[in-house]
Amino acid sequence: MSGHPAADRAIPQVRHFGAVNWIGLWTLYCREVRRFVKVATQTVLAPLVTTLLYLAIFVLAIGDPAHKIGDVPFQSFLAPGLIMMAMAQNAFANTSSSIMISKIQGNIVDTLMPPLSPGELTCGFALGGMTRGLAVGFVMWGAMTFLVPVGAHDLLFVLFHAVAASLMLSLLGIIGGIWSEKFDHLAAVTNFIITPFAFLSGTFYSIGGLPPFWHGVAHLNPFFYMIDGFRYGFTGHADGSLTAGLFVLTIVDILLWALAYRMFARGYRLKA
Amino acid sequence: MPTLVMPRRYGAMNWRGLWTLCLKDLHRARKNFRYSVLGPVVSNLLFLIVFAMAQGRGGVYVGDLTFLQFLVPGLVIFAVCETAYSTSSESLLFDKMEGIIADTLMAPLTPTELTAGYACSSAMMGLITGAAVAVPMLFVVHLPIASLPLILFFAAGGALMHGLLGIIVGLWAERWDHHAAAMTFIVIPFGFLSGTFYSVASLPALAESVARLNPVFYVIDGFRAGSTGHADGSAITGAVVVTLVVLALAACAHRLFRIGYKLKP
Repeated sequence: MSGHPAADRAIPQVRHFGAVNWIGLWTLYCREVRRFVKVATQTVLAPLVTTLLYLAIFVLAIGDPAHKIGDVPFQSFLAPGLIMMAMAQNAFANTSSSIMISKIQGNIVDTLMPPLSPGELTCGFALGGMTRGLAVGFVMWGAMTFLVPVGAHDLLFVLFHAVAASLMLSLLGIIGGIWSEKFDHLAAVTNFIITPFAFLSGTFYSIGGLPPFWHGVAHLNPFFYMIDGFRYGFTGHADGSLTAGLFVLTIVDILLWALAYRMFARGYRLKA
Repeated sequence: MPTLVMPRRYGAMNWRGLWTLCLKDLHRARKNFRYSVLGPVVSNLLFLIVFAMAQGRGGVYVGDLTFLQFLVPGLVIFAVCETAYSTSSESLLFDKMEGIIADTLMAPLTPTELTAGYACSSAMMGLITGAAVAVPMLFVVHLPIASLPLILFFAAGGALMHGLLGIIVGLWAERWDHHAAAMTFIVIPFGFLSGTFYSVASLPALAESVARLNPVFYVIDGFRAGSTGHADGSAITGAVVVTLVVLALAACAHRLFRIGYKLKP
């Protein structure tokens, strides 16, 4: 009998949540995933085509059947490296482009205003990028099995390195996206840091063939461990120490996470 | 008394307008030089390093050339083509998305001048980037230059071909997705699979004859013939094919500007 329909409804209350705002975190994660799924042609199919092109040109240009690395045929050596490279580039692209575009368009406030702590922001973005990396890797692996003998020596190594590497690049993408002030800056990070590291860390060749100095340098490079361990999981061939790789990747992931967290917490280039 | 401002008169061609349109895209590329010039320089050097490392100690030979001698011209001409393509397509699409294409369409430029302006600026950017890619490589790899005219002809032909293709894609595309799709699914595969990295003579017979139907193959092959003397096809056929394709693309781009395809209501 009340006059106004609104009077029948309960008054909305402030939502209370505990240590973690799970709904908010889940929402941010879903947004990050839907962002790339909506343009899957660009974010999944395009890297697949590019990677298969790389496979074709390397095999046609230098992959004569006698060419072996250790006791692994060149194709089987190359395939895991290419999958890892595509995963790395896409995990990086997902977070960096998301943050960069939001900053340029000004809708980053829609992400900063909701009750999300720096930890939740880091986690939501990082897991979104990681999901893209893993999705691309999985599709790539499916396509490659038709073309190249891709064995599975130790699936746990494959899984650990896929997750750790996607997370690492996804965190780097957050840092790069927050740091960049225009697209040209982000292009510079991609062209001068991410792509060279991805190319020169043993994607296409065994670092065993490098001169001693560069061989030493390669062992300081976390990208090398992620490719090497991932490849070991498929072929059983490793250039470096696997234990060192597990440690390096874990520590680098923790450090990058801490840095991304700190950037969000301070509002570095995000808040006035 | 102030003199009356009169409309400027010009003959068959509005040369000043054409030159201004050309400069517009060159200035834009200069402002984004990390992306438009340095990006290709770095990524092509990476290709060179990676191939040098991956071929192993024994080395790979293509005819009498070392693999790197074979590779460098392919990388350079592909950088020319890719940059020419992206300069015109990105310029047109960006202007369309921002709505500032009206400034270009309002100016007294005929479809011929529009086509020529976009094609020339993108071809120039392609050649500049190609030179920037080539210079550091020439310090590392010695090329037995065979014929300068062939180099210039095929570099200019490839640059114009891709600049014109970029105009057509830039007019057709409505979103960045479309542009990126044309790049990933057409321009890069055509370039990569047409002998940038390997001799088409090493392909299976069927794939080789398919590759020979591809105009990009003639651009790469002719350019390589000029810079190393190694050719998989005939330079004369190549010159004819490249000229015809450039003319056909120019006619197509001209027509699109004339009917205002996706430009005017």
